[in-house]
Amino acid sequence: MLLEIKGLTKRFGGLKAVGDFDIHVDEGEIVGLIGPNGAGKSTVFNLITGVLPVTSGTNMFRDRDITRSQPDQVAALGIGRTFQLNPLFPEFTVLQNVTSSFQLHPCSSLFDIFFGTPKYRRNERFIREKAHEILSLVGLSKEANDLARNLAHGHQKMLGVARALATKPTLLLLDEPLAGMNPSEIQYSLDAIRGMRDNGITVLIVEHNMQILSLCDRVVVISFGEKICEGLPSEVRANSEVISAYFGADYVC
Amino acid sequence: MGVVMIVLALLPLAISGSYYMHVLILAFVYVVVSSGFRTISISGQFNIAQGAFMGVGAYAAAIPAVWLHWSPWVTIPLGAVAATVVGSIIAYPFARLRTVYYAMGTLFLGYVIMNLITAGGKTTGMSTGLGGVQPLFSNRTHYYYLAFGLMVVSMACMYRFEFSRIGVRMKAVAQSHQVAASVGIGERRNRILAVAFGSFFTGLLGAFYCHYQGVASPSSYGLGATLLIIMYVLVGGLNSFWGPSVGVLILLVIPEFYFRDLKGDLPYVTAAILLIIAFTLPDGIVGLVNLVKNRIVKRLGRGGLPQQPEGEVRADAPGD
Repeated sequence: MLLEIKGLTKRFGGLKAVGDFDIHVDEGEIVGLIGPNGAGKSTVFNLITGVLPVTSGTNMFRDRDITRSQPDQVAALGIGRTFQLNPLFPEFTVLQNVTSSFQLHPCSSLFDIFFGTPKYRRNERFIREKAHEILSLVGLSKEANDLARNLAHGHQKMLGVARALATKPTLLLLDEPLAGMNPSEIQYSLDAIRGMRDNGITVLIVEHNMQILSLCDRVVVISFGEKICEGLPSEVRANSEVISAYFGADYVC
Repeated sequence: MGVVMIVLALLPLAISGSYYMHVLILAFVYVVVSSGFRTISISGQFNIAQGAFMGVGAYAAAIPAVWLHWSPWVTIPLGAVAATVVGSIIAYPFARLRTVYYAMGTLFLGYVIMNLITAGGKTTGMSTGLGGVQPLFSNRTHYYYLAFGLMVVSMACMYRFEFSRIGVRMKAVAQSHQVAASVGIGERRNRILAVAFGSFFTGLLGAFYCHYQGVASPSSYGLGATLLIIMYVLVGGLNSFWGPSVGVLILLVIPEFYFRDLKGDLPYVTAAILLIIAFTLPDGIVGLVNLVKNRIVKRLGRGGLPQQPEGEVRADAPGD
């Protein structure tokens, strides 16, 4: 098991944002975490990656306890992530956004960087090549020298994915990759995500757009911070609790 | 750049021993200290305690020099190391603060540091300062060359720091600490590194300065020095590597060289310059130069500034 979350709980003062939440992800899967707005999906991501401190519960990644790890340590262990909003460095160009995200593989020591040793220069050359590869993978080659903040919304999202790929993740957490995208961009993104899985990256997706279901091997549904259902996409679609969470109890026939 | 270096290296032949030389030594000190401030600022930290860090360097050099008769060649590096250590220790808890809260925190911190220093009784000479710091040389030209050398080395190090992957990390942390952390750039680690690096050169020149003056006096450091530093940086341009140097040139060197008879009115002129810049040129003089350069290049039909080297992060065109 790649990622195993047990009894995850997060309280903000008296408000319970996530309560006793379990989820596990196996190697090579695409798992969807869906739920209505405000269900606590993004909070779960922030708890896994250490952006928010966990109230109780344990997060295990490759049999290592990452419950109390800092975000940069989590990234170093091989969990990449994207952000729903402001997913990039606005003042860098598109290419710089990707090259600056190559901090882990390869990693140059401060000494190597400061003195510009051959190792550092080799690493930088490698990074530049790889960055171009990743940009063509997400379809941003033409925009490589544009400032990131001038990109269209859909392109910013794809750049977020490109940045996450630069960390060479084992597990990739995608936070609403389809939000605000037009139909053709959605199709492109779905294909891109499938392509990542085929390249050996395990994917956990937070989304409330139901189109994501076609992609997932398994779906977990969260509402008001608690898991209400888990199963194959087809099972989840038919589940009455899920329908009532999304549309209200009146719509359940 | 090379021309400026040669001129500065040969200048003592023309102005040997004069007051101008004193002005330039002072300018070298402030170029480094202001650039140190800017180096810390690229990681998103507006360090108002910069003048106090300079003071830490100065007193860490002056105290052993006066009371233990240590050689200046030991005490000056000691000043740099002391400023680095104090800076790093302070940077650790302060890495939790951002933007205006960080500035406020360091403002009070600088105040506390200077008060601690002056509260040291006879050891630190209290508010009158610690006199009798033994000089390095008897000849001012030698001071000039030492200051010049220290400036060149310091600026080279800071240039390397900013325009390598280390600077990229700093700028990434400044833009979004969350996004930076998600690719493995730890915020705290890098912010401490920026402070440690910037305060090393600040302490180094602070220590040099007190040996040059022969006295470590609290009025030369602390908040007063910080205000000068911020003025130089803002007028020259916070977003460009040479901004602080240009600021020192415009607000320190040129007035002292050409407008000395204005002496009493100079603060008003300086204030006017500062206000004009603040209202019209958010990127300072260097920002203006880049703007004009951009316009000219465009008019010549080459379509904007030449592409920057791929993969190298340069928020500005440092020029040469």
